[in-house]
Amino acid sequence: MSNPINILMVDDQPAKLLSYEVILGELGENLLKASSGKEALELLLKNEIAVVLMDVSMPDLDGFQLADMIREHPRFQKTAIIFISAVHLTDVDRVKGYQRGAVDYISVPVIPELLRAKVSVFAELHRKTQQLERLNRDLELRVAQRTQELQASESQFRTLANSIPQLAWIADPDGSVFWYNQRWYDYTGSNREEMRGQGWQKLVHPDHLARVRAGIERSWKSDNSWEDTFPLRGQDGEYRWFLSRAIPIHEATGRIVRWFGTNTDVTEQKLAQQKVYESEQRFRTMADQAPVMIWLAGPDKRRVYFNKPWLDFTGRTLEQDLGDGWMEEVHPDDLQGYLEIYNAAFDCRRPFSAEYRLRRADGEYRWMLSKAVPLLDSNQAFSGFICSCMDMTERKLTEEALVKSEKLAAMGRLAGIIAHEINNPLEAISNAFYLLRRHPSLDEEAQYCANLAEQELARLAHITKQTLSFYRESQQPVPVRLREVLDNVLELQSRRIKASGIILEKDYDNNATVHGFPVELKQVFLNLIGNAIQATAEGGRLRVRVSERTNGSTRRPGVKVSISDTGSGIDPKYAKRIFEPFFTTKDTKGTGLGLWISRGIIQKYEGSIEFRSMRLAGGHATCFSVFIPGVSSPRNMELSRTLAAG
Amino acid sequence: MRRDKTVILCVDDEENPLILRKLVLEKAGYCVLTATSAVQALAVVASRRIDLVLSDYLMPGASGAELARQIKELWPRLPIILHSGVNEIPADAGCADLFLSKVEGPATLCERIDAVLSGARTRKRGTSGAL
Repeated sequence: MSNPINILMVDDQPAKLLSYEVILGELGENLLKASSGKEALELLLKNEIAVVLMDVSMPDLDGFQLADMIREHPRFQKTAIIFISAVHLTDVDRVKGYQRGAVDYISVPVIPELLRAKVSVFAELHRKTQQLERLNRDLELRVAQRTQELQASESQFRTLANSIPQLAWIADPDGSVFWYNQRWYDYTGSNREEMRGQGWQKLVHPDHLARVRAGIERSWKSDNSWEDTFPLRGQDGEYRWFLSRAIPIHEATGRIVRWFGTNTDVTEQKLAQQKVYESEQRFRTMADQAPVMIWLAGPDKRRVYFNKPWLDFTGRTLEQDLGDGWMEEVHPDDLQGYLEIYNAAFDCRRPFSAEYRLRRADGEYRWMLSKAVPLLDSNQAFSGFICSCMDMTERKLTEEALVKSEKLAAMGRLAGIIAHEINNPLEAISNAFYLLRRHPSLDEEAQYCANLAEQELARLAHITKQTLSFYRESQQPVPVRLREVLDNVLELQSRRIKASGIILEKDYDNNATVHGFPVELKQVFLNLIGNAIQATAEGGRLRVRVSERTNGSTRRPGVKVSISDTGSGIDPKYAKRIFEPFFTTKDTKGTGLGLWISRGIIQKYEGSIEFRSMRLAGGHATCFSVFIPGVSSPRNMELSRTLAAG
Repeated sequence: MRRDKTVILCVDDEENPLILRKLVLEKAGYCVLTATSAVQALAVVASRRIDLVLSDYLMPGASGAELARQIKELWPRLPIILHSGVNEIPADAGCADLFLSKVEGPATLCERIDAVLSGARTRKRGTSGAL
């Protein structure tokens, strides 16, 4: 048996004590013996006694008196007392005994089994009580320890919660906030009373409150953590942005016991974000309004942005051109060369410029001049390229035309020198043959030869005059009747018209007059009529028409001259090029300058020259029409003179 | 028109063309004097009656245009024709009565000379009539 307990036996008769000892020995408990009340008290004070077995009638201190004394001591109030008595077994005695705290009576003669059973019950009771008490003490100790720990941890937590840079709070499982850290009060300038429960809602910006409340209430119900960003009013009345979070705290069973929340001031980030957004917006607006095409590429060479002018140009969506998609739009002949420049520039992170052809929405390839510079991010790290591109097709053409016109000017100067050097001896030779042919001593054969020579000289003179000159007889524009100019030209060409068997139709408005230089105008119509005759076959028709008109688009009054023929027509593929300098369909026979010069002259008059060529059942019909405004401004005439003189 | 009484002063720095031009004009009936520079021409004009001056435009020293200017200053009624191998009318040719390309040929040359002379005579008559 574990933990034997003490049983005190009190009797003045040693024989009885001995007999009890024998009876109770089997229980295996400690048996203490006292032969008097006094001795019993001493033992009681020295030991913890579970059961007292005492004789009622003892000499100096009887059982009842002893029980009274035992009970007086608080330590023994619960000690079980069993009386053994041979006499005094009246009910009055029993009551007296119970009043003194006896728990049982045993009469003499003692039945050993009964005594043993009764003592055993109380011994066991005592043992259990003892165990309970021990348990209780343990528990109390543990509770005390735990309380201390909790207090320490709570205080640690609050110190922590007060030292973090965030605002923090704790709420009940139903979302009612019962604690805020000091920072919360410092920031909001509120007090505990105002903040109790849902008081925090007064501090949320009204524009955000509904959303915030809906979000947080959803969290309370679903046990999911909560997050939102919204402005909270500070004690100065200003709102600042806070990133707010709440997480549920569960106990071991999984039940939510609290919500722990924080609010982190993200105003600076928000403002920075706002600035980035605004600057991004500004960039985009600017980029989209810019008169150039712009792209951005990342450090991996892939394009990440195209402005509106770019997309308008290619006629594609942003998604189509992003990444490497734009490469589809680059002219296949230019792509490789462009990529070499492009890749090299990315590899060494140097600005670059390139010229290449890019397909426009209408399918036409246009020349692009692109200039790109590397981009650095805020850490000075390479972050890609920004590039602006311009359609330089017109410029390229202008440059080409300029080169051509410079060539022409140089050629003109050269022509002038050559003309002078040829014309002088030409005149002398012409005069010599003029005299020779009329010399009386010439026989028929010599006459014939001189005649031929004179004819050839006339041809030579004509060529130098026609091809090496822009000969003009007057310095001031004069009124020019177009019918006179045209008749003059037709007269000059009459031999060719006759020789080609061309039927000529004239339809003149007799008074159609413009201000200008007759020789210039003669040159224009000589060109147009000469071309028409050249294109027209035997039996074809040439129609020359002059009429006063008002220009359809400019509403200016003027004169329209149209020259139509039924000749070979103009191939549509040449339509765009026939006014270009040095463009000719006559192989080596043409200079390729006729129409170009003609258009230049008409443009000086602020007029226009255009043509239509149609395939008809019987062949082709081509019509060149020239419009010359009736009154040209003096400024342009001045300009025209300057141009002609140069 | 009576060409035999008409005196033309022909000016050119180049000898062959000058001789041939003189022969052509004489064949056409004019009386022709020659000079090989503007200075020489002015001396001739100052020394005797001349009806018309036909001068080359490009000459070393004073050009035909300069000659025309000086003649018109001293003898405003004396007609002068500038004659050149250049195909464009030079800007300073305005003093002359006519600018004529050399490649127009002898027939045209004579026609234009007659035309200028008859214009000059008409003006002269008009002027004397007024007096």
